[in-house]
Amino acid sequence: MALKSGLQMDETALIRAAQDGDHAAFEQLVRAYDQSVLRLAMNLLRSPEDAHDVYQEAFLRVYRNLHSFRFDCSFHTWLYRIVTNLCLDHMRKRKVRKEEPTVLATNDGPLDRMDAVPEDRVDGDPQRHLFSGQVRRRIKEVLGELTPRERMVFELRHYQGLRLRRIGEVLGTTEEAAKNCLFRATQKMRAALGDFI
Amino acid sequence: MKDCNSIREQFGLLLYGELSFDDEERVESHLDACEECRTALQREKAVHAAFDGIEVSPSPSLLRECREDLRIHLLEEAAMPRPQQAGWWEKFVDAITLRPSAGLLRPAGALTLVAMGFAAARMLPDATFKGNVAGLVPGAARVRYVEPASDGKIQIVLDETRQRIISGNVDDKQIQSLLLTAAKDPSDPGLRAETVDILNTRAQSADVRDALIKAVQEDLNAGVRMKAMDGLKPFAQDAAVRAALTQVLLKDSNPGMRTQAIDLLTKGATVDRQIVGTLQELMLRGEQQGYVRERCRRVLESMNASLETY
Repeated sequence: MALKSGLQMDETALIRAAQDGDHAAFEQLVRAYDQSVLRLAMNLLRSPEDAHDVYQEAFLRVYRNLHSFRFDCSFHTWLYRIVTNLCLDHMRKRKVRKEEPTVLATNDGPLDRMDAVPEDRVDGDPQRHLFSGQVRRRIKEVLGELTPRERMVFELRHYQGLRLRRIGEVLGTTEEAAKNCLFRATQKMRAALGDFI
Repeated sequence: MKDCNSIREQFGLLLYGELSFDDEERVESHLDACEECRTALQREKAVHAAFDGIEVSPSPSLLRECREDLRIHLLEEAAMPRPQQAGWWEKFVDAITLRPSAGLLRPAGALTLVAMGFAAARMLPDATFKGNVAGLVPGAARVRYVEPASDGKIQIVLDETRQRIISGNVDDKQIQSLLLTAAKDPSDPGLRAETVDILNTRAQSADVRDALIKAVQEDLNAGVRMKAMDGLKPFAQDAAVRAALTQVLLKDSNPGMRTQAIDLLTKGATVDRQIVGTLQELMLRGEQQGYVRERCRRVLESMNASLETY
């Protein structure tokens, strides 16, 4: 607990220094969060190019608006609000335009653009062998069929490990609404994956 | 079976630990008595594990590229005029809008609101509310970006350039705070130089001295650093100032800065022996500036210190 409060104090000092124009402090803030921001964008958008764009836009917005950050919420929540809004915009536009599908049709069958990206699990992990290519493709399809909000809540809960209360704060909604969203997402995925597992 | 279906619907939330105490209790009780649901729960866990298998991590090269591009964007951004930082007006607005960040000013803000409401009712009986956008002056604001808000409205972020003249004594806290901010404005070295000139007259204040110390060490413009050095001259015996001057002597690329630094550090009949190590380091590195090198040599000789190692 002492360590946690120490870290929080450091972050508060960093934010105040960055608000005063200290570029080194701003860079430290970026470094503290940028890996999880990029991972979130990459998993949601499943495109390195889009994840790169979201990263740039998110931290530029933070830079431009940091002076108005008043510590009404945690910096993490404030930053994630920006990132999730950007990702939701990308996902909604993609749904409307039906462009840049993550799974491409090729002569050799469907190819996921993210298959070229290394995954968290190491090759030697025996659990990995349990997942056939077919199951993996189906999961990706199902994730793509969720609404942007369901996809976002699922991502934040399953991969980012945020509690529903925090997810509600980030998305500007209630814990109950986030819970309903997660419930719908898990129902849809269970229904779609039932035959495979 | 109907009960089983409603129980299985809860498995997702159960595995995320997001069921209420009562709901979790209901599911657990059912599982104790129902083998089919226990099997179904195992399948649900397998589904969860399958999700983990498709998570991706950004490659180190992508992260590196993102950081490098952001650095360039920030440099471009820093060269552009920035919105004003939170000052007394913003704090006042925080106070009257009762935001938590106003802290102790909140009660005062509440009283101000009451007083303003009373005054408005007396003086402006026909005043009507014109909405948030009514006060906008075309051309005075630039739309930075727009996005739909969750309530169906449109949120527009503006960069506003409003000029306001504030006058006051240099000892006034508000004026001094603005000067300290201007002394760090990365976009305008001319503004920084003029501000440092004014702050030099108040270098007896610790806050001002700290700003001058920062400027003398970190300002990118040699003219600004030189002016900050002028302001610090009367305080050359102050420990923090000496530490800054030592850094200038060792690191500043401008020979004029190093010349002034060594003069200030070695001024007076008795020279602080702590400076010896710094002077020896300069000699060892082969200081290029003739005056600085000669001054180092003379001071070290006067202290009977070795020209190489202490």
